[in-house]
Amino acid sequence: MSQKETHSISVALAAATCTLLGSGISATVDAQEEPAWDFNTSLLYYGEDGDRVKDFSVSAIARRMFIDDRYLTLGLTIDGLTGATPSGAIRQDVAQTFTRPSGNAAYSVAAGVLPLDDTFKDTRLALTAGWQQPVGDTSQVSVGASASKEYDYLHLGVNAKFARDFNQRNTTVSAGIALSMDSLDPVGGAPAPFSPMLDVGDTSNRLGDQDKDVLDIVLGVSQVISRDLVVQANYSYSKSDGYLTDPYKVLSLVDGTSGDTLLRSIAPGVDGPSHQFLFESRPGERTKHSIFGQAKYYMNGKVLDASYRYMSDDWEIDSHTVDLRYRIPFGANRYLEPHLRFYTQTDAEFYRLSIPDSLPLPGHASADYRLGNFDAITAGLKYGWRTRNDNEMSVRIEGYRQTGSVPADQLIGNQVSRDNFPDLNAIIVQFGYRF
Amino acid sequence: MRPLLPKKAILMIWAFALCPIAWSETPPGEDLDLADYTGKVVVVDFWASWCVPCRRSFPWLNSMNDRYAKDGLVIIGINVDRERESAAEFLQDFPADFEIRYDKNGVLAKRFDVQGMPSSFVIGRDGQTRARHLGFKVRRQDEYEAAIIAALQQEVAE
Amino acid sequence: MKRTVGVGAMTILLCTGCSSMGVEPWERDVLAKQEMQLTTDEIEAATDDHIYFSKEASSGGRGFGGGGCGCN
Repeated sequence: MSQKETHSISVALAAATCTLLGSGISATVDAQEEPAWDFNTSLLYYGEDGDRVKDFSVSAIARRMFIDDRYLTLGLTIDGLTGATPSGAIRQDVAQTFTRPSGNAAYSVAAGVLPLDDTFKDTRLALTAGWQQPVGDTSQVSVGASASKEYDYLHLGVNAKFARDFNQRNTTVSAGIALSMDSLDPVGGAPAPFSPMLDVGDTSNRLGDQDKDVLDIVLGVSQVISRDLVVQANYSYSKSDGYLTDPYKVLSLVDGTSGDTLLRSIAPGVDGPSHQFLFESRPGERTKHSIFGQAKYYMNGKVLDASYRYMSDDWEIDSHTVDLRYRIPFGANRYLEPHLRFYTQTDAEFYRLSIPDSLPLPGHASADYRLGNFDAITAGLKYGWRTRNDNEMSVRIEGYRQTGSVPADQLIGNQVSRDNFPDLNAIIVQFGYRF
Repeated sequence: MRPLLPKKAILMIWAFALCPIAWSETPPGEDLDLADYTGKVVVVDFWASWCVPCRRSFPWLNSMNDRYAKDGLVIIGINVDRERESAAEFLQDFPADFEIRYDKNGVLAKRFDVQGMPSSFVIGRDGQTRARHLGFKVRRQDEYEAAIIAALQQEVAE
Repeated sequence: MKRTVGVGAMTILLCTGCSSMGVEPWERDVLAKQEMQLTTDEIEAATDDHIYFSKEASSGGRGFGGGGCGCN
């Protein structure tokens, strides 16, 4: 599976649920002859610092209204990904050599440097389609499908949602479901969990294709509080089954006293890992619960969008997300929107910095920083304007920073003094054009 | 709902009291006295610049006006926008061949007990409400038109 | 986790009981504005969802219908 975990449940749900905005979709105050098709397009650049991941992406959503509030929505995204990502191995005071995921070559990392695997040059294509229509006088239904493909990953999904209005459309209750059937064909083959990283050319520890199924259910209610305030609350349930491991991530096997990665002997004339690494292993299922609340408040032309999400799962990860946006209009045609997002998560029960050889192998283990203990902050600014032919353009620039730490009780020997958690700094630039 | 002409004043006071914005604003917008239209069929249509289906209802209202004005149909479009300017912008893109009145404080909307936007009330020649339509669906145009025709064909009882 | 479910269910139930809250159908001018929709820009929302899904352990949770002009 690619480094980016192309999911697409969230994209599918976001696209599908976003088609369910009620009749407010194109209700801009300056009424015009409604065009048959509405387009929302964007160009995105995501870049982490140093040699790490860079992503370029083009997206388009086309929406067509048919008689009496029925909508067809088609979405397309193309992503190009390059750059390196932490492999899960810890840095050492000596150089280290690793076998690439393909098993065909090796790469080296200098002493003191965090091991990054730069094998990931990938292109992803994602498509969504959705249909939404009213049911009777107070309800709406939507159905959709999504698919995405990249070199080592295929996603197929379907989704449906039903919404009903009450209290003169002041209250809306919705229920949505999405099913995903994904399959992975990792470069070189999925390695058996906890199997060692082998010499170049040795793929004896590889398994065949892997599958992953995900079920998502969302229940929500939105309520108009006053002329200027609307709020919503959701509960989400997500259940994943199948191959949830990252086939490219490893853990360093370390000495139980010094905390240094154990050396590995290589036959002469053979390329292979200089030290001992084990491929990670995650549980075969994951259940997540989230609650989400959002308020949009209009203050004399300015709009405050504030939301909070709490997530808890059976991998023992808990997270809190607070997202704030404040739109400030300038004249009739322009706006500025600062954005602030705070995120914090606790590590997964099986998150490990490394595997000490002095202890029995745990049931599952992963050194993937994305399952670790960290805080993240996003700060950004968006500028939008109405063009001469009455279309909308926007540009936003955001900075994303993750800082984390490894639980102190996991640090052994020389690890204590090292900088173990790979902090992340990324910049996001996005241009949008709606017409 | 019957437009309660004799109790009109009491209703307006209630509406005024219930509408918090009214406290800080100038007196309510233009009034509508249906007694002025006895003998005619009146279609009272509540609309707003922000109401997307109104962009489809206006051309249809214009064609109803074309077809049946000679038979005694009067269409009154009641705008509920807070700013007259928003209504004016809408009317530039979707002109109305019929009479427009302004009800920015929602007094008339409250009196007619508007349940959703847009809302249309067909009032017979005798002043009684004969039909009401919630929303505007292109596929129900014939149904809306049939209600107007039925009202036009009604004999006025003395 | 049971607590999460409990709080979530309570929030939803509480809000369905809010039958006296809201505005009249003709007072939805502000709510009809593009910038007052619960999801203002679907591409931006999908982009953010994808980025944070790729870099964090949580995903989704947002977005549904409601608010808006309430027409038709």
